[in-house]
Amino acid sequence: MNAIECNNLCRSFGRVTAVNDLTLAVPVGSFFALLGPNGAGKTTLLKLILNLLRPDSGSAHVLGCDSMRLKSKNFRRIGYVADGQDLPDWMTVAQLLDYCRPLYPTWDEELARRLSKMFDLPTDRPIKKVSRGMRMKAALLSNLSFRPELMVLDEPFSGLDPLVRDDFIQGLLELPDDDCPRTFIVSSHDIDEVERLADDVGFLSEGRLLIHESADLLRDRIRRVEVVGKGVAALALEAAPKEWMEVKRPAENVLQFVHDAFARDTTESKLLAMFPGASVTARTMSLREIFLVIARKQRIEKGREAA
Amino acid sequence: MLPFEVLFRPGEPVYEQVIYAVKKAIATGKLHPGSRFPAVRTLSQELRINPNTAHKVVSALTGEGVLLVHPGIGTVIAPPVAGSVEDRTALLEDELERLVVEARRLGLDEDKIVNAVRKHWRKFPKIS
Repeated sequence: MNAIECNNLCRSFGRVTAVNDLTLAVPVGSFFALLGPNGAGKTTLLKLILNLLRPDSGSAHVLGCDSMRLKSKNFRRIGYVADGQDLPDWMTVAQLLDYCRPLYPTWDEELARRLSKMFDLPTDRPIKKVSRGMRMKAALLSNLSFRPELMVLDEPFSGLDPLVRDDFIQGLLELPDDDCPRTFIVSSHDIDEVERLADDVGFLSEGRLLIHESADLLRDRIRRVEVVGKGVAALALEAAPKEWMEVKRPAENVLQFVHDAFARDTTESKLLAMFPGASVTARTMSLREIFLVIARKQRIEKGREAA
Repeated sequence: MLPFEVLFRPGEPVYEQVIYAVKKAIATGKLHPGSRFPAVRTLSQELRINPNTAHKVVSALTGEGVLLVHPGIGTVIAPPVAGSVEDRTALLEDELERLVVEARRLGLDEDKIVNAVRKHWRKFPKIS
């Protein structure tokens, strides 16, 4: 079962294509990190999913319902926290909670109290007078307290100090999962924040999903490889296999590249067959490094198309 | 507070890092056989990791016999592996071979590597 399914979703603003023929499935119970540079289309995609924007073509299904038919009964199961979100600024946090409580049959007052305490929120000050971090925490509190099945978070960590970010993540993990599995979709340009949380990652660039796979498989598959040996000097760099990215030869005997399809069992022996007597080392990369390599590759390919 | 520490390094699978941290805590005597192991939820919240990952850690450690699940009581650290010295040594064959291969690749001789192993061995306190 998928919590979110997008099929050939497209949306443009004037001449800019923000989401371009995008197909995506997020299984129920998973934590999906939507990564990409600013302007990649992350916010537009999330808004299309929540019917805050209409697609030009294609469709999105959320918790089994066509996004264009989402009604208040569906929205009672979906939480949404976005950077710069509109909140009723004149209300205090306590008033905000009083306002939200009757809207949601699944409201969990015990959880609301626990989170309020954990977040250390001043409940008696108007939201417009609290800091940015407090404001985000208030938005998160009012959304987590009704125990949403799907939590949509758009750049929730941007501009938050490390302590507030940690509170925020702890809050997400505080959501109970005993009654039903919870699904999270979190967009971020700050990869480090989500590295330990994400089951699956998607890299969005210019409205297209370049990569969508499990974070563990991605880290297994993409590795930085170094080959040291005499045979290396004879290789023409332009003739390198296509799954090698950023191929460099910093010295006559040293070849470095990022392998796009590394396999623990076979890649090393294949390289040794290519370069007899050489030594091969492969090291894992952080999601941040992987992301940069893919983004650079995309930029080079685009440059080639334009030329 | 968890009875063990994990210093996360980016790039390596999170569950492998946690599994290693648990084994190390047992090897250094921070976790004793029979003591309680945190529940999946606690593990996830304290380490700020995905609950699915925390679940994977507990199943892997249970599968390997590092943890024992007692229904109704919870999860505890298993007693040390039983069996003859030979049998227990055999469990390390792969790691030992890997160590020797790497040592040879780096041009280290037998004494150097045995000494290095001894140094690490002595870093850990004695567990009775």
